[in-house]
Order: sequence, then C-alpha cells, then structure tokens
Amino acid sequence: MESVTPIKLAIYDTFAKTAKAPTVAEIAAKLKLPVVDVQSAFDELHQQRLLVPEPGDATRIRMAPPFSGIGTPFRVTVRGKIYFAPCAWDAYGIAAALHKDVVIDTKDGHTGEPMKLEVKKGKPVPLPYVVHIAVPAAKWWEDIIYT
Amino acid sequence: MLLFRSEETVEKWCATHQLPKRPLINIDQIWALANEWYANRLTVESRRPKPNEMAKIFERIGLTESFWDPKSDKF
Repeated sequence: MESVTPIKLAIYDTFAKTAKAPTVAEIAAKLKLPVVDVQSAFDELHQQRLLVPEPGDATRIRMAPPFSGIGTPFRVTVRGKIYFAPCAWDAYGIAAALHKDVVIDTKDGHTGEPMKLEVKKGKPVPLPYVVHIAVPAAKWWEDIIYT
Repeated sequence: MLLFRSEETVEKWCATHQLPKRPLINIDQIWALANEWYANRLTVESRRPKPNEMAKIFERIGLTESFWDPKSDKF
C-alpha cells in the first residue's frame, strides 16, 4: 500500500456524510481495494492515533476523533443530522471539522443533569461550564477510550 | 474526560471516585483545542499534532501546568 491517505479520507468522508463509522469491508468496496490492504491502513491509522478500533474487532471503528462510532453522552446535531462524539473536546471538534454550527446535548459528569452546548456563527455560546480530564496528557493514549 | 456544570460538581465527582482534581478547562479553551486538533481533519494533510506541537498549543491557550506536558508521566 502506497499511502493510507485515500483510506483516511474515505473514513472521514463517510463519518461526515452518514454520521456512522465505516467498516474495513465498506471502505474496501468503496475504494475498490483489497480488504487486506484496507485493514493494514486501519492499523496504520490507529498507530497514527487517527482512529481507535472496536475492542476485539479491528475491522470496525470505535472512534475516528472527533467522531464516535457508537452512541455516547455527547450528541451533536448539525442541520438535523445527529453525530456522536467521545467527549466535549471532540463534540466541539465536530463543529470544527465540519465548519458548521452545532447543538450538543450532553449531561453533567457527576449529577447526570442535562446540559446543552452550542456553536453559533462559528463561535461557542459562552457558558460557565468546565471540562475535567482525569488522566494527564502524557497518558491519554494508554487507554484513550477511558480518557 | 467529562463536562461539568461547575467546579463544585467536579470536586464532588473527584471525591466520589477518589481521584485527584486536575486543572480545569473552560469553554473557550476547549473550543480552541477543538479547532487546533480538528479544523483540517477532513483534509489530505490532516494528522494528530506531535508532542512538541501539542505543548505549544497548550501553552498558547493558557494550559501551562505540568499536567499538560505530553512527554511527562510524573503524576
């Protein structure tokens, strides 16, 4: 495989257009490439920290930040389309990646109380909320799903 | 990584889980991080920032505690 770039772009394009995570087989079919080459590219993109495979199934994507392949407490609505993000950083990241305004429905990490974030006219609506990361930066990727 | 309504609920969460309270990130800072990481994520040249680039980004937006050192593991 010469480059993982076409596969990276296909993954992100699929997420952006469908709000769903593509599988190795789906990307192989879309790009007319051998499944084994696409799997190698998925593995390489994991090494580059651009995607995280589903635990126990490397043919599926748990997340390709800022997009999540599964439902999460960060639901991001963009012109009626619903995406999920792994965390608050990535929820805003969907707005940044798509260059769109978004509404983020989420909840307080301790109380579970519903909360809403918004990006309007390219800027976050000011709110007094805070983000707390339990794991220091140097260790984020030791278990990125937990982080 | 969790979002909280206030610093008070962060402290309650840390106490419940017996975890240390870390430096907090405000909404403007998390928005800045989102743009630094993802504004070109759908493009050919997109990639995750390298540790030295991450350190500069964190410093630029006011995240200067050692917690943010991407090469440090002394916690």
